[in-house]
Amino acid sequence: MIEFRNLYKSFDSHAVLRGVDLTVEEGETLALLGPSGTGKSVLIKHAMGLLEPDAGDVIVDGISIANATPKELRSVRRRIGYVFQNAALFDSLTVAENLWLAQTDEKEGRPLADCCGEAEGLLRRVNLDASVMSKYPSELSGGMRKRVGVARAIAHQPRYLLWDEPTTGLDPVNADNIDELIMELDRELGVTSIVVTHDLDTAFEVGDRIALLYDGRIRAVQKPQDILRNEDPIVRRFVRRSRVDEGVVA
Amino acid sequence: MRPLTKGLVRLGEATMLAGQIVRVLPRPRLYINSALQQAYVMGIQSLPLVLLMAFLGGAVTSQQTGAQFSGGLPLWVIGSVLAASVITELGPVLTGIVMMARVGAAIAAELASMKVTEQIDALVAMGRDPVAFLVTPRVVAGLIVFPPLVILANAMGIAAGWGIALLAVDGITSADIIYGMRYYFRTWALVFSILKGAVFGFAITFIACFVGLSGTGGAEGVGRTTTNAVVATTIALMLLDVLLVPVLKAF
Repeated sequence: MIEFRNLYKSFDSHAVLRGVDLTVEEGETLALLGPSGTGKSVLIKHAMGLLEPDAGDVIVDGISIANATPKELRSVRRRIGYVFQNAALFDSLTVAENLWLAQTDEKEGRPLADCCGEAEGLLRRVNLDASVMSKYPSELSGGMRKRVGVARAIAHQPRYLLWDEPTTGLDPVNADNIDELIMELDRELGVTSIVVTHDLDTAFEVGDRIALLYDGRIRAVQKPQDILRNEDPIVRRFVRRSRVDEGVVA
Repeated sequence: MRPLTKGLVRLGEATMLAGQIVRVLPRPRLYINSALQQAYVMGIQSLPLVLLMAFLGGAVTSQQTGAQFSGGLPLWVIGSVLAASVITELGPVLTGIVMMARVGAAIAAELASMKVTEQIDALVAMGRDPVAFLVTPRVVAGLIVFPPLVILANAMGIAAGWGIALLAVDGITSADIIYGMRYYFRTWALVFSILKGAVFGFAITFIACFVGLSGTGGAEGVGRTTTNAVVATTIALMLLDVLLVPVLKAF
């Protein structure tokens, strides 16, 4: 379980998070919606200790990230896979080397050749074939880079997956493929996921619950069918109108 | 934040980064392969430019000395000035300038680009230490590669100055130049030159890594960070050059 407790974060004088409280239950997929620039990515980065909160805390499996020792922080990071918005693949390394980095840790120091079989399996899981292993990220399409990013995130068999804008910048077909991949991995790996998105289709497609981050706080957390009936004008404006436009809500 | 406070914060951050590098150093398994690769890239690819700069520096020194001192001082003085200038100053400084432009700028741009594209975050997310993985190999490579480059630059500068002096200064002979160089030469000057190279090697790679890791924004941010790194290393290089003079005098 991941709990965000009264989380505050500012950059210079700009307050991004202003007291976020949110609990992500074991096994669920939570879609975190919100307008661009409201701090959705900032919020999930706190779960891995990539950012330090100004106040508040994140609790992952009972470990307080704010007070975690380096060893505890490493342990939390090994439980979480993070799919970055633009994949964040190391562009000086091949796909195989990118996956190898995630498969092994500094202490193990497993040779690259030992990890190739596993790497091929990871690529197959995200519907890529082994021919991409020797390619550099710059030689891949946007959709393929995202998939390699996903393969890298699941390489160490995490319990949690954090998806940062997984469909941004993709065409509708590739975006659908990624949505299906999220659901497939949630099902097959049994992971708990947070999917940060401003894409309503993705949120309603993959989310067991949907949370709306607005003005630095969580405005609503509900099941998809319930959030559509939410009478809060902000929630209605952000969620319902788009779905009405699409004929999802009468 | 006020400029003074900001400066102190940056100084604190730089000190912490240096501390993190020191903590990684006893575990060479984490960085040695990468450091050797970096050293190869830094050294081999920079060598032609280092030698060219050293050639020009030596050539200018012997001609200028010849033009300034002809008639007033014995010609062998050109040999002394050439050896002193190249070994204690031109060899290390010109190597530093070339490495700052080629290596320092490249390190800062690469790390800043990795920072803004979240590659550094990805490393951390995978439980890797960016200091062990990215910074230490580059700093160690700088320490490995600078001293031999300085030695080669010294050799090239002296050879070029010698050759150009024979061509451009009337009446000078190789015997004059050799006598002048032997008259000046002290082993400590050569040791100082190599030490200076190592100090420059550390300073350039460390500052470039530190500035690179603080990169923000997009492409513009990477450009700004690279410029900042070049400016900072230029100032550091000249400042260290001044501060190291008493070390030469001390022996």
